[in-house]
Amino acid sequence: MVFHSIRWRLQLWHGLILFAVLTGFGFTAYRLQHANELYRVDQELQHRLGPVLEALRRPTNAERGGLAGPGGPDGARAGPSGSGGPRRPGDPNRPGEPRPVEGAFGDRGRRGPPPRESAGEFPYPREFRLGPNRAVLFESDANSFYYVVWLRDGRELSRSTTATSNVSRPDHVSGSRPVPTIRMRGTNRELYQFTPPGDCILVGRSLAPELANLRQLALVLSGLGCAVLVLGLAGGWWLATRAIRPIHDISAAAATIAGGDFSHRINTDNTDNELGQLAAVLNSTFARLEGAFARQQRFTADASHELRTPIAVILSQTQATLARERNSTEYRETLEACQRAAQRMRRLTESLLALARLDAGHETMKWNRFDLSHTARDAIELLRPLAEDRHITIQCELPSTECFGDADRLAQVITNLVSNAILHNKKDGEVRVSIRRENDSALLVVTDTGPGIPAEDRPRIFERFYRTDKSRTATTGGIGLGLAICKAIVDAHDGSLDVSSPAGSGATFTVRLAAIPCEA
Amino acid sequence: MRILIIEDEPDLLRSLAMALRDEGYAVDTAENGENGLFSAESVAYDAILLDVMLPKLDGWGVLQRLRNSRKTPVLMLTARDTSRDRVRGLDTGADDYLVKPFDLPELLARLRALIRRTSGQATTRIEIGEVALDTAARSATRANANIELTAREYVLLEYLMLHRGQVVTRTALYEHLFDEDDSTLSNLLDVHVSNLRKKLGHEFITTRRGHGYCIEG
Repeated sequence: MVFHSIRWRLQLWHGLILFAVLTGFGFTAYRLQHANELYRVDQELQHRLGPVLEALRRPTNAERGGLAGPGGPDGARAGPSGSGGPRRPGDPNRPGEPRPVEGAFGDRGRRGPPPRESAGEFPYPREFRLGPNRAVLFESDANSFYYVVWLRDGRELSRSTTATSNVSRPDHVSGSRPVPTIRMRGTNRELYQFTPPGDCILVGRSLAPELANLRQLALVLSGLGCAVLVLGLAGGWWLATRAIRPIHDISAAAATIAGGDFSHRINTDNTDNELGQLAAVLNSTFARLEGAFARQQRFTADASHELRTPIAVILSQTQATLARERNSTEYRETLEACQRAAQRMRRLTESLLALARLDAGHETMKWNRFDLSHTARDAIELLRPLAEDRHITIQCELPSTECFGDADRLAQVITNLVSNAILHNKKDGEVRVSIRRENDSALLVVTDTGPGIPAEDRPRIFERFYRTDKSRTATTGGIGLGLAICKAIVDAHDGSLDVSSPAGSGATFTVRLAAIPCEA
Repeated sequence: MRILIIEDEPDLLRSLAMALRDEGYAVDTAENGENGLFSAESVAYDAILLDVMLPKLDGWGVLQRLRNSRKTPVLMLTARDTSRDRVRGLDTGADDYLVKPFDLPELLARLRALIRRTSGQATTRIEIGEVALDTAARSATRANANIELTAREYVLLEYLMLHRGQVVTRTALYEHLFDEDDSTLSNLLDVHVSNLRKKLGHEFITTRRGHGYCIEG
């Protein structure tokens, strides 16, 4: 579970990468130091190989005193001609594997006094004489170098006091070039060379001090590496925590909002990064959700409020009437009141259903080509009795105009607008209904001569359950959904419904629909 | 007991008035906030049923202005049932709160409780001497024997017993027991008092000449 968290994943990758980098660095540093140490030791070994090689030589004839070996005059030169510079550092350096070292000793000009010891014992004339100024190189101390010289038949000619007894003669690969070769023997670094006749000279040194140094280096490097890793991980944790904190804030805020507190917002003090922008976007989304939720809540509350009143009428009427015997007039009055309440509930539920269908978009609009003037005329004819009751005259100006849409629904719009105009009119007033064409639009205009709509109410009259009179309009019987339904229907036709009400002299509602162009 | 109903839905108003008159209350009605406030300020009602959604002046406004001058108990009626609305109603000075649609028996019981609390009576039973009154059952007994009372006689007895030990003026009785439609004949009260004395004993209700009537507690 822990690794599903972004913070832990960040931390894991961060740690892995840091570990890899540190390991790489440490290892490289160690290898570099290791190579340097070996290079230095090799240099020193080569410095010492030359003098030892020079110390081994064929005695001069005078010295030899008739002891001429069958080997004859070979080996007059005690080594190959060296050439080239010092070995380049950084060469791969495999301990223990013998390999040639390109010429490292060229100083054969200076020769010490020839040795006089035991020359006569050798089957062929070889002597080994190391001058005292050279022997210093092999004195016993912490970094004591040693040398061993073998004759070609394998017998040991000479060995320094510092050489341990277990130094063995390297195998001579016949045909190999007489070049200095490095080998590792245990912790000893040894450089040997076969002379052309086959004698073998070996100088060596224990690597123990270098290895101890390298071990210390390794310890220091790993210690440092661990410290840096811990620091890096701590820093990474801090960074990850900092980076994650806004996400935590966002998720906490979202959880609060999901819990029902729609007024909550994400703190967007740091809006200059990506998460700040995300928080701003989420906040605006939450604001819109809150608005939609509040509207929905108000709508539901209004709807239930509208239903409660007729139910209260029915309940109280029946309970009051049934409390005792009544005469038939009283019963009739009660039943009539119940009927009015039930009618009111029917109107309300029908309106709510119509709105719900328009909202959900499930309402299958019956799209047809129709003449708006016919629809308007039919709707107005149905309303004439209502208008006559209230002494209102309806003036029509309805030229034929072809439109595309749901004629029944638009008839409902016209009915609502015209009956509103009749109900909210002055005595002996007038309602004017006209259709006209404006560019590609058909305009249906309904004007009344009533008191008009106050400016502060005008923007809100298309809201559901909004009434200019804050109480139930018991006199007109409206429930405050008519204009909302009109608006929803016109919107479904991609049209527009607007109202204007010039200072107290009636209201004008304008429906704008897309018209079918007149055929030429 | 005289009640004012302020309600703009005519059918609801009619049924409430009918139910309350059946219970023996004197009932006045108002169909909008302004008229309602005028009546409420000019008459000492025993209780007011007040709708919240009213034309001209809404229920909150009526209540707020009424509280400047009178402490009449008010029972608010509303279709809004969120607790915020209730809290607002009670904080503005309403004494009780009933959500539409309501049951008439509950409304009547709350009204009785409201009137009883206002007169400092905790239970529905009032006993004075051997006369006992049950305001829930609207019945009276004398020495455990049931006494038949007319609706007017009952409300007169109830009013006097709720105000035991106080002298109740004739004006107050007229104001509380008769509504504005009653033809208030000046001797009607004397007839009711005389009938009550016949049924409960002559000493039960004393007359303070020039002041009014009193039941000694």
